[in-house]
Amino acid sequence: MQIKYIISLFLSLLILELTSLASDLKDSVSFGIDTYTDNADVQVYSPTLSLFKKVSNQWMLGFKMRIDAITAASITNGSNANHVDAVTGASSNGKLFGDVRYAPTLLATYENGDNMLSFGAYYSQEVDYIGKAVFVNYVRQLNEQNTAIGIGISQSFDKWSPVFKRNLPKDNRNEGKIDLSINQLISPTSSFQMVYSHMLSEGFLSSPYHFVSQTTFARFENYPDRRVGDAFALKGVYMFNENNSMNLSYRYYLDNWGIHSHTINGEWLHDISKNMTTGLRLRYYSQTKSNFTKSVGAYNLNDKYFVVDYRMSAFDSYTVGVPFIYKMKHNSKVTLSLDYYQTSSNAYIKQWYGVDSLSALFSTCTYSFSY
Amino acid sequence: MWQLLFIVNFFFFTACSEHLVRVMPYEKEYLAQDKMKLSPIDARAEQEGHIFLIREASAGGESTFQGGCGCR
Repeated sequence: MQIKYIISLFLSLLILELTSLASDLKDSVSFGIDTYTDNADVQVYSPTLSLFKKVSNQWMLGFKMRIDAITAASITNGSNANHVDAVTGASSNGKLFGDVRYAPTLLATYENGDNMLSFGAYYSQEVDYIGKAVFVNYVRQLNEQNTAIGIGISQSFDKWSPVFKRNLPKDNRNEGKIDLSINQLISPTSSFQMVYSHMLSEGFLSSPYHFVSQTTFARFENYPDRRVGDAFALKGVYMFNENNSMNLSYRYYLDNWGIHSHTINGEWLHDISKNMTTGLRLRYYSQTKSNFTKSVGAYNLNDKYFVVDYRMSAFDSYTVGVPFIYKMKHNSKVTLSLDYYQTSSNAYIKQWYGVDSLSALFSTCTYSFSY
Repeated sequence: MWQLLFIVNFFFFTACSEHLVRVMPYEKEYLAQDKMKLSPIDARAEQEGHIFLIREASAGGESTFQGGCGCR
């Protein structure tokens, strides 16, 4: 019912003024490589490619491709740290990469100055999981393009195929999301944004590989098959002077599993020269545990839900990173980023990974140009 | 409740036009710079959106789409 109401509201806002305002669409190409490595013995190397081509003054088609080549420790038994990581869900089988995920996205965009509509489809394939999704996004400019109101809707239809034979209670995971956003320019040197997201997930929402192992029994991880979440975000950017700016954001999340979280992100950016920009970003995240998570080792055979994933427990995390942007000639640029991620100590992390906390290093390196 | 909040905000932002036109087109030079974007590096925003979705239990608050995977 709520989905139908939102779609009606979305369609009612789609009163497009079909003027002949020039669009800002540009042909562009970008390619790069992302990396991820953590102390749970997971490494991911991800080449990326995106192509955008104008097919008319107001229409553009796009193609994006991401390949995740993943290495991970194999499952040996249920009680030591050599578990298949939540990031991968795959076993190595003696190969260089435990799994390779292919994720193409097709999209189309219409823009006529005050209105922008984009829609597309996403597909992801890995050894034990297929992800399929469709999405649509509409942005309306108002007040001489000082205000932008956006609505985004996405729906995924994913499916599990565990690498070992296990009859799952359900093999699907469907997720729907609605994003409502408002952007407002405050001054020539500042702007802010509000975003509200509503999410509904249904199906098999735990991992088919995780299991709780206690002295007298072992059980596969089991979560409720429905999760409803809401997120509220406030973001702002402010320029101090010609060479320095800062962006700040705050997000509050809550769901019907009892998880609440706060996310604060701040980034300072500094122009080293006319062509080079660098800076420093800091992010802090804190969440509570779900209402069905117990202390490690406290589950009973009669419990309905079993948790082994640390993400259902309470923990904090910190991220510190350095961005770098280098603008070159002919509308091209190189962007680099390096970030370090660290969680707080957590008994669930200790139980599953054999380390007190998780730490990770991730990077991006991308070359892009428009023409 | 959230529907009412959104509708109120929508009419607020569309009904107070003269007060919300704060930046003229010829004043938008700084706002077009990379360092004035909420996500100055698109590739990082996309990658960390995926990483945080996998490593943490929260989602949303971004107006962009994130695809699913078995890593969650």
